[in-house]
Amino acid sequence: MSNDNQPLLRHARIDRWFHWVMALTMAVLLFTSLAPILGLRFAWYGVHWVAGLVLTLIILLHIVRALFWQRPGTMLVLSAADFSQHSAGKYTLAQKLMHLAWTVAVLVAIVTGVWMLQKAGVPFMERDPSAFSPRGWGVMMLLHDLAALLSVFLVLVHVYFGILPEKRAYLRAMIWGFITRADLKAEHNVERVERGE
Amino acid sequence: MNLLRHGHDTYGEPVVNGVSWDLLPVAFWAGIAVIVVHLVWRALRRRPGSGMKPQ
Repeated sequence: MSNDNQPLLRHARIDRWFHWVMALTMAVLLFTSLAPILGLRFAWYGVHWVAGLVLTLIILLHIVRALFWQRPGTMLVLSAADFSQHSAGKYTLAQKLMHLAWTVAVLVAIVTGVWMLQKAGVPFMERDPSAFSPRGWGVMMLLHDLAALLSVFLVLVHVYFGILPEKRAYLRAMIWGFITRADLKAEHNVERVERGE
Repeated sequence: MNLLRHGHDTYGEPVVNGVSWDLLPVAFWAGIAVIVVHLVWRALRRRPGSGMKPQ
């Protein structure tokens, strides 16, 4: 087809910024929390909570934008067509599952992290270690840790699929915004993509 | 290998303090395992005569 190489906008500039700021804050959060465990000692807490608040803000903006300016169903809803070859809408089944896993990891980390600010203390919030029982704080920490471990797993898998040669078009789209119909045809139904499904 | 970190409350009762960091290498190697399995599957799929069309 003559227009197979015509670029289609896949990710708007603001969504690309969301993605890369989220990636940067996740890298900072994982480094500042896990490096001390691996023996690299430094004053990690200040950088960690600031990066956590940046991530919280970015995620809130992403949720608002997805709900009111985008079609959240394209990413969140699984359909029968997702299980057939070459028939995915804007996102493939694998991409939807990856987003779902990230959603769980990041939301659990944010909710428990924001609560734990109360225990550890930050300049804008009064410290209150008695807000929860020791058992309650323990469960909060347990969930925060599980989110961190899930994130370690997801970073590896996400980066691997991002740099695979046959998936490189998705990486280019997340950097420059555009993808071609020819690239989409490998796994997508271009008509579904153009209908915004 | 421990699955949890434990501490004590003010009454000396044991409480969970989080996940054991013994699980950090497990999360890392689980990610590496997925990558290796996918690389093997990808190589087999691309092998000439496998009947699969390379992408």
